[in-house]
This record gives sequence, C-alpha cells and structure tokens, in this order.
Amino acid sequence: MIKKTFQIPDMTCSNCAMKLESLEDTLEGVKEINASYHRLEMVIEYDESKLTDEQIVAAVKKKGYQAVLKQ
Amino acid sequence: MPKNQKPSVDPVVIVMLGIVFVAIAVAMIAFQPESNSINIPANSGTLSQLFVAFVTGLTTGGLSCLAVQGGLLASSLAHQIEQDYVEHAAKHKKTKTNPRSNSALPISLFLIAKLVAYTLLGALLGWLGSFLTLSPMTRAFLMIAIGIFMIGNALRMFNVHPIFRYFSIEPPKFIRRFIRRTAQGTDTATPIFLGLLTVFIPCGITQAMMATALGTGSIVMGAALMFAFTLGTSPVFFIIAYLTTELGSRLEKFFMRFVAVVVLILGFVTLDGGLNLMGSPLSLQNLTRNLIPSESSASAQADSPQPIVADGGLILEVQNNGYFPKTLKAPAGQDFTLNLITENTYSCARDFVIPALNYYELLPDTGTVQVNIPAQKAGSTLFFTCSMGMYTGQIVFE
Repeated sequence: MIKKTFQIPDMTCSNCAMKLESLEDTLEGVKEINASYHRLEMVIEYDESKLTDEQIVAAVKKKGYQAVLKQ
Repeated sequence: MPKNQKPSVDPVVIVMLGIVFVAIAVAMIAFQPESNSINIPANSGTLSQLFVAFVTGLTTGGLSCLAVQGGLLASSLAHQIEQDYVEHAAKHKKTKTNPRSNSALPISLFLIAKLVAYTLLGALLGWLGSFLTLSPMTRAFLMIAIGIFMIGNALRMFNVHPIFRYFSIEPPKFIRRFIRRTAQGTDTATPIFLGLLTVFIPCGITQAMMATALGTGSIVMGAALMFAFTLGTSPVFFIIAYLTTELGSRLEKFFMRFVAVVVLILGFVTLDGGLNLMGSPLSLQNLTRNLIPSESSASAQADSPQPIVADGGLILEVQNNGYFPKTLKAPAGQDFTLNLITENTYSCARDFVIPALNYYELLPDTGTVQVNIPAQKAGSTLFFTCSMGMYTGQIVFE
C-alpha cells in the first residue's frame, strides 16, 4: 500500500470532496481516500500493483475534476 | 424535441411555483398594513420573524442548500430516472422520443423528509436555547459572528482568497462515508432517508438560521423558524435543480454568483444589525445618521417641536416601521423619563433595547412604558434599537 496526495484545484465546495471520496467504492485497489475542500487536495491510499497514478488522474477527471500529483 | 411531441413542463415545477405564489399571497394578506379584515395576533412579531425566515429560504437558502445538498437529491432521483428510461425503452423500442421522468414522487419524499428533519432540529435547538439566557449583548455577538460567517462564505464563493475556504464546514469523514454509501441504495425509502440526512450537511445560510433557532430559546419557535425556512428553500431547490438539469452548468454558475452576491449583502445586513444591538456608533445606520447631519437635522425639523410630556419627559413613538423621532434631544446632566408609546405595534420595534444601559423590554402592543434615563454628559449619545438591530434611533444630550 502507498499513500499519495493529489491537488484538486477546481473543487468548489465540500460536496466535491464527497464526490471524490466515492472513488473508494468504484476504483479497484483503493483502500481509503480523504479529500479536503479546505486544502483542495485528495490523499489516496492504494495498492500500487493494482492501480497507477494515471488511472487515478483519469478517474478523477471522470468525476469532473483535474488531479495533479503533489511532489 | 420531435415535432409530434408536445412541449411539457415538469409537474414538480408547477406545484412548486404554486406553493411559492400561495405563500406570497398569504404573506401579503397577513402583513397588509392597516388591515381590518384579519386580526393580527398579539405575537405577530413572531409572525414577521417566520416570514423573514421563509423569504430567506425562498431567496437564498434554496440556492445555497442546492450547492451542498444537490448531490443527495440527485442520488434520490437517479434510480427513478433510470427506471423510467428502462421502462420507456421497453415500451417504445422503435420510437426515439425522450421519456418524461416520473420525478415528482422522489422529489416530494425528499422534500418532506428534509422539512421534517429540519423542523425537529429547530425544536431541538430551541430547547437547547431555552437553557441559555441570551442577553441583547450576547445576541449582538451572535449576529456579528453570523454576519462574518456569511460574508466569509460569500467571499469563498467568489474565490477571493484560499483562507475563505475555511468558512465552509466539512462534515467528519465517517458522516461523509455514511451519507455516500446510503445514497447508493435503490429502494423507495432512499429519498426519505437522504432527505433526513441533509441535516448533517447544512449550507452556510442554514447554519445561520440554526443559530437563530438556538437564539429563540423556545421549542415551538425554533421548530417553526426552521420549518418556515426549509419550506422557503424547497420550491427554489426544485426549480433550480430542474433548470440546472435542463439548461446545463452555465446557468448553475450564474446562480452561484447570484447567491454569493445575496449572501454578501445579507451578511453585511446581519453584521450591521449586530453592531446596532451592541449600541455601536460604527453601525451603518448610526454612522450615516451622524455623518450626514442634514438627514438628522431634516428629520429633527420634520419632527419638531419635539414632543414632551408634562413632567419634562420625552416621548418616543414606537411604530411598526420604527421609532419616531429617530433623533431625540435631551438635556445633559439630569435624569429624565422616556415615554415609549405603542399603538397597535406588532413588529420587532416592540422589543426595545438601549444597549448602553443594558435595558431590554418587550413593550405592550398598545400602551405606554416609562424608562428612567440617568444623567448623561453633554455631547454624548445613547443609541436605541429593536432586538433584531433593524430599527434604530438615538438620544443626543446637549
């Protein structure tokens, strides 16, 4: 398991955080997602063997947001 | 839209517009000035508070709540809409008409559940508030805090600075997860349950109204206030949800800008009310009264000669639309009596406050109440206001 933080600059309210956290239920390999509208970021804990950064970015894009990996 | 298909309007929109018009009509009748046909009860100051709550819901609450709770409503409707499409596809395999979604039932269930939940929440807050004695000064601080909260939320919506994002309250992770997982359910009870869950994700304006319900210190009043507010939000909630679905996200953005402007204005009004209730000379009403002498002198001239009773006391008329004269002149260095005269006065002007003297009195709707004003220094000013900080005036000592 690995934990990474993505910046989500276009969140507009706390409901956006809930939308992003719903990826917990649909994205295979995800253990937990904590999204914060206050910090405009999403911390995701996932299994590297089942999921890549690119897949995460694509899944976030499907929800209507841009995700940028925080270095 | 195919030519053979008649343009139709969602019945929900018609029902909700109907509710809005009926509510406005009832309000106009109830608040008709000089109305002899309806006996306004003695506690119609309460009625006006409920009316304000309803209008707040109708104008800004619905839009603001939609931004936060729209996801839950969408989840309530998703299954119904999906089912309608499946049924329509099965019945009309060869035609390409769009199915009308039978969204009236889940929307109504969601709305009723939300109304019940917030009414109960209002009762709970009112009950909790009954244990707290809110002095005018405490209420002033509460109003100032609510005003700042609303202004911060408006600036957050305008994306002025990242710091304003902290004016948005994020529910804890376990509540977010619970709501999300419940929203995935597809049984008919889902809209009801999701409507009840909206109490956990109140929007900024709802939170402000919740604080007001707490301030009432009464179960009935707290419940009534939240009921009126939530009822007000409901039609707008539905109409905007409908328009957003029909016209797309551009309109949604426009409405959010509109909400931000209205919240900003209401925030300043609430803040100003709090300052009035504190007796601050920095409130907009007190500042403009002092900074524009022509206004005060004009009103003084219009009101002159200043009414004085036999014992040298001053008279202040407490009317439904404020206090007259707005500026009283009193001799410095000596006590005097201020006679507060009401005559069929039912507005919040009855709740008379002199913040600097820590004086608060709910005046009778008709009658005279005497207040002993202790000697004040020459050049000083005593501000007075209603308990909501709406109507104000001052006594200038010379």
